[in-house]
Amino acid sequence: MHIPDGFLTPTTCVVMYLISLAFLVWSWKKVRLNYPKSFIPIIAVSSAFIFAAQMINFPIVLGTSGHLVGGTFLAILLGPYAAILSMTIVLSMQAIFFADGGMFTFGANIFNMAIIGGLSFYIVKILSENSMSRLKLFGSVFIASWLSVIFGAVACGIEIGFSPMFESVGGVSVTVPSMLFWHLLIGLGEGAITATLVSQLDRVQPAILSGLAILRRQKL
Amino acid sequence: MKGYIKASAAILIGLAILIPFASTYPDGLEKVAETFHIEEHSPLWQGLFPDYTLPIVENSYFTTLISGIIGFFLVLGMAWILGITITRKTPEKPE
Repeated sequence: MHIPDGFLTPTTCVVMYLISLAFLVWSWKKVRLNYPKSFIPIIAVSSAFIFAAQMINFPIVLGTSGHLVGGTFLAILLGPYAAILSMTIVLSMQAIFFADGGMFTFGANIFNMAIIGGLSFYIVKILSENSMSRLKLFGSVFIASWLSVIFGAVACGIEIGFSPMFESVGGVSVTVPSMLFWHLLIGLGEGAITATLVSQLDRVQPAILSGLAILRRQKL
Repeated sequence: MKGYIKASAAILIGLAILIPFASTYPDGLEKVAETFHIEEHSPLWQGLFPDYTLPIVENSYFTTLISGIIGFFLVLGMAWILGITITRKTPEKPE
């Protein structure tokens, strides 16, 4: 879902940079000094893990693939705002060193993946109703990560729909449905992988999950 | 800390195993662009490792693996720095 340079109009790029910047400043203020020192290796390793996981595309249907975005996974592990910052680091390294996602489209990519991904934390929270039931939690994680990909894809469809080259083929009215179609499927992969990761992490290292954001009921 | 080193090693081993199985099909957005015959311009900025390859390594498996490992540690380092800046400087308060 990384938008390359050239897919967005300059106006869209600027608007998305400003929106994302506002969210980043907000997230920064929310997380600053909120975590103990023991949080450092968790955010470092989980961010690096998401970078690695994003390299592995899985095939869906009709010659199309997708890969884990990981926004919901990070949000479960780190809380919504630290997840936004963590995902922004992943996206910035991809754009700077790997030319995966453009420089001008960077703001849009932060919005579609980091911000929507991080905020999907609240979908988990609402769906699981803070219940301690593991099954409910993992089910909520599946739905939230599926939705985070779908929302990201719709946002992406709207953004590219405004560019002249997509406008010439029908603009937003075709880009949104086609992005939606593929990402309904890709999102299922996201949901399955995220729910599996969270449940396995809970099995192997229950302290990490119960000690962290989702079950802690901390004001984040 | 030992646990995190183990976790990192496990992630990198997983990456090394899964790279050959990674799908080379276009992703959702690329597919949409393809459907409407929209060409991706060659980017203004190629990055140091364009498309997860190391230009000096020709073997397609190792070039992806090495650039993946480099990327892993780049993100690890940057997120570590982020972690230092957002965590409390003072001794941990009782929760």
